[in-house]
Amino acid sequence: MKKHVVAMVLVGGRGTRLGAITQHKAKPAVTFGGKYKLIDFVLSNLAHAQIDTVGIVTQYEPHELMHYIQRGASWDLDVNDGGVHFLTPYTTREGTKWQRGTAHAVAQHLHFLNAYNPELVLVLSGDHVYKMDYRRMLDHHRASGADITVGAFKPHDDLSRYGVLSLDEQDRVTAFEEKPDAPASDLASMGVYVFTRTALENVLKQGVGDDLDFGRDIIPKALKEHYRVCGYYFDGYFRDVGTVESLFDANLELLDHPEYLKIHDYTTHPIYTRTEDLPPHHNMSPDRVRDALVCDGTMIMGQVEHSVISSNVLIKENAFVKNSLIFTGVKIGEHSRLENVIVLEDTVILPRTELVYDRPTVIDNETLWKVGDDR
Amino acid sequence: MSRLFAIIDASVRGQLGLLTIHRMPGAMPVVGKYRLIDFALSNMKHSGINNVAIFPYGNYRSLQDHIGSGKRWDLDRRADGLFVLPPKNIAAPTEDMVTFQRMHEHIEYFQRSNQDYVLITQANILWNVDFNVILDHHLTTGADITEVVHEKTRLKTFIMSKKRLYDYILNYDTIPYKTLNDVVEQAPSLTISTYIHRAYVRYVRDVFHYMKANLDMLRFDRGRDIFLANRPIMSKEKTAPPVRYGKHANVTNSLLSSGTIVDGTVRHSVIGRDVIIKRGARIEHSVVLNNAVVEQGAVLDHAVLDKGSIVKQGTVLEGTLRDPYITQKNQVVTNQTGMRILHVAAEMTPFVKTGGLADVLGGLSVHLAKIGLNVSVALPYYPVIKARFEEACQTVGDLVLTDRGNQRKVKVLRTTYKGVDVYFFDNFHYFEREAIYGHDDDVLRFAFFCRAVVAALPMIGPFDLIHAHDWHAALLPAMIKGQMTPPKTLLTIHNIDYQGLVSADVLKHISLQQLGKVHNGKMNSLEIGIEHADKLSTVSETYRDELRYDYYGKNLTPAILKRERDFYGILNGISSKHNPERDPVIAARYGLSTLEKKALNKRHLQRIMKLHTNPGAYLIGSVGRLSEQKGFAIMIPALERIMKAHNDVQFVLLGTGDDAIKEALLTLQKTFPGRVALNLTFDATEPNYIYAGADVFLMPSRVEPCGLSQMIAMRYGTVPIVRETGGLADTVSAYDSYTGRGTGFTFFDFDVDALVQTLETSYNVYKEHPDVFRKIKRRAMREDFSLTRQASKTVELYRLVLETQPKETSS
Repeated sequence: MKKHVVAMVLVGGRGTRLGAITQHKAKPAVTFGGKYKLIDFVLSNLAHAQIDTVGIVTQYEPHELMHYIQRGASWDLDVNDGGVHFLTPYTTREGTKWQRGTAHAVAQHLHFLNAYNPELVLVLSGDHVYKMDYRRMLDHHRASGADITVGAFKPHDDLSRYGVLSLDEQDRVTAFEEKPDAPASDLASMGVYVFTRTALENVLKQGVGDDLDFGRDIIPKALKEHYRVCGYYFDGYFRDVGTVESLFDANLELLDHPEYLKIHDYTTHPIYTRTEDLPPHHNMSPDRVRDALVCDGTMIMGQVEHSVISSNVLIKENAFVKNSLIFTGVKIGEHSRLENVIVLEDTVILPRTELVYDRPTVIDNETLWKVGDDR
Repeated sequence: MSRLFAIIDASVRGQLGLLTIHRMPGAMPVVGKYRLIDFALSNMKHSGINNVAIFPYGNYRSLQDHIGSGKRWDLDRRADGLFVLPPKNIAAPTEDMVTFQRMHEHIEYFQRSNQDYVLITQANILWNVDFNVILDHHLTTGADITEVVHEKTRLKTFIMSKKRLYDYILNYDTIPYKTLNDVVEQAPSLTISTYIHRAYVRYVRDVFHYMKANLDMLRFDRGRDIFLANRPIMSKEKTAPPVRYGKHANVTNSLLSSGTIVDGTVRHSVIGRDVIIKRGARIEHSVVLNNAVVEQGAVLDHAVLDKGSIVKQGTVLEGTLRDPYITQKNQVVTNQTGMRILHVAAEMTPFVKTGGLADVLGGLSVHLAKIGLNVSVALPYYPVIKARFEEACQTVGDLVLTDRGNQRKVKVLRTTYKGVDVYFFDNFHYFEREAIYGHDDDVLRFAFFCRAVVAALPMIGPFDLIHAHDWHAALLPAMIKGQMTPPKTLLTIHNIDYQGLVSADVLKHISLQQLGKVHNGKMNSLEIGIEHADKLSTVSETYRDELRYDYYGKNLTPAILKRERDFYGILNGISSKHNPERDPVIAARYGLSTLEKKALNKRHLQRIMKLHTNPGAYLIGSVGRLSEQKGFAIMIPALERIMKAHNDVQFVLLGTGDDAIKEALLTLQKTFPGRVALNLTFDATEPNYIYAGADVFLMPSRVEPCGLSQMIAMRYGTVPIVRETGGLADTVSAYDSYTGRGTGFTFFDFDVDALVQTLETSYNVYKEHPDVFRKIKRRAMREDFSLTRQASKTVELYRLVLETQPKETSS
């Protein structure tokens, strides 16, 4: 079955900088905006771009993600020709094909691409927050005659976290530097790439060795070897929520800047997510919820301000939650007080617990054990 | 794998008013994100039932759209699965539940289903139940049929062997039962077991239960019976973002569904998906369906906003739990106070009256004016009006119209009556006649009247809406279309038997030749009206539905079907002067708390009508025109049989009309001396002594668009016995011997046996269960048939006419 475009979504990253949030799950499975998981953004983008053949390249704690995505029906990806494929590490006569980097991971699964014989391969990360129409980038790739197109955006924060690229007037990449001390431009790589398939096979075949990562190794090498590498500037909202702070901030931006991601203006590009069968949330509080996002199945008897509350949360009488992210299944006891916290799934907060911090702090049942020790 | 297969009966329309015009009850959105049928389907899934057939009513597209392949409930299977079995005969009238005949249309389904037992349940029950527990009960008791009941509500849910049901279906045309309900109530030799479901149930068959189904979920104890973690209610998967609370949100005890943005006040309400509640809006005790918008300063109290409704700034919508304000899908509701309405009709009390229309218009127009509308009425100036009201009239102006080559002068006069501006149209040639109707040129006369009204609009207008009544005013909507910025038009059909037929060449004289359809060389005024009015209405919801069938709608059925989505039913009301507590002409006044005094009226009635004065007699009353429509064909033989069977049955009738019926009644009187009393003069006597004195009120009409007598009887605590047709079906709820509920006794088949059986049942309750009979009486007295209710429903309809947006297709 020939496909014009096949997408490879990299979801193997551990996301170590997210600490306990990714202790038992891959980063793309992290909750965002109450009811989404990070992977929803990429899968929804693919659905809207009508790209229905997707390889999910996975390695670290894949079970939750696999269970969540299933056959991709929630994103209309459960098609008969194509659909979602989980590409896991495997063993061959040459030994175990463990993935040592993004490019290394894709290189293990070139045979998957062969089955669909695509002209273009879209390489994506499963842990970014953005709404993007990939078709425009694919068109740009074709129009510019590129072998490789690198998606680029203008970060709102420290450029030195990213791969910085410079473009000429034809959008050709003239320089690329990973995590530079002195950035040469204000454009950073999104970690979104379009490869002409032959180019991808060539760079990966040559590169099986120490060239493990697209950003760090493959793009600089392609430039050196005079592949036609172009940039595609994406001017929409884009967040790489790799740290506790950036995850926290991006969540609260949904409240403070609804115009960024426009999740409520979703008639043209909705973010799909797999939903559970939960009743509408029940706000039993007497006028105590303001400036908040609240998901199905939740019951609120207490007070909530400037927070994102996931599904099946229970907030009891006189509890007070402010500037916080509360994940699914959390129970918050009476007269508790929470501020600047991210409370992970199924955490139970006993009555009269005080969790007030200046900086975003991750709370789960384990940290709660230790709360007493600190004081 | 369950041993059950299931029939979901979605064939019943229920009384959900505006909400079910474009969808069937099973497809009703409920508790924010669900549809009613989700509860039945989820219960099936959790009971392991994977062979399910749905029998839908009428328009089931939105239901089909919702359930899809049934995948959400694991019903997309190779073997068995989900089947939607539509009616083959669309014109068959609906019953109170799915009939064996309808099942027979899909007999192959029953042949193929290989489970031993069958569950029959309703699409519009909100509950969470394990059907296997009921099957266990059925098997343990060894009953022939198990019926499921909750407190005082029969849920029309049954379990039985497939073989038994299959037999009923195969023999549907020879057995005396049409539905399972009939079997359970009437079959003599069956053992029926009752399974009592104790957890929460709401059987949604009218607007009240719809409100309760939603608002009950705001009570933790009720919601906990429905939303169980291990048996979730499943619905079509849709993705919407979390609810967003704005900085000014003020929400107290409410359910809010995904996608909603709330920045206003919400109390004790259920809000659907993707609703926008703007800052400063206030919503209390209301149900808001998906995609509705409530703007700043709008107030909702006991309202149901259908999908996509927009309530504009500052608009106030108020209703009650029993009678919430209901908007229609995609309606834009604006702050319409002081709507300017012109009624156009041939008669109106107190000016001129030949039939019921005059009273209806007299009552309605005054009430509309009372609640703040600018109401005008246009009537021809008949000599009877001139004789009594000339003094009170002022001249507004003159018009000259060319009519078949003649110049005809029309004088417009005006008077006010209880806040209503009444305009009279005087023309010597057409209206200066003793009889109001019955002339050869009637159609020309009223066509001329309509033309005159149109021509007078600059003089007496402007109006937002013209409300035309019956065929006499039916040409007006077509005539007015040629005007600059014509007002909207609403045509109400009070009586479809009179249509204003005339030879078609008249059309060119009244300049409508492009508009009128011609059948057999005749033009039909009412048909032209049906085609051209912006909206149509009639006098009860059931009658509106009946008119879609040839039996009732006759030659106009095709025209009506074409306008189906613009056709509404509003029950007429009765004046508050019908009140046994203040009635000056009855022997003893009484009310709910002094009901025992009704006995004095009974004695009085027996005495003046020369009946045996027997306080224990079962006294049947009847008031009305003696015409075939009123059901005398079954009434007289049925009375003969019941009076033969019980010698303490008495009958009293007031009315006049058809001579043959008179003869038959007189014969009946001779057969039962001292037990039948007739007043065949319809003199000026108020019939109130019959309403006050009789025990039951008999009205077995073959056709009854609305009917007022049964409402008056109920207000007087006289229990109605009626056929389930038109307004009778909408006003009387059937007594149910199991639950003891109901406000009267009803039957459906126009058939002597059915009526005799109903009379026997009521006689039996009267004699053997006086306490139950008393409860029925009291319930009947408490029903609200007020003009106020009719007027507020009419205002809702006016708003609809004025505000409905261009049609769109989504569900």
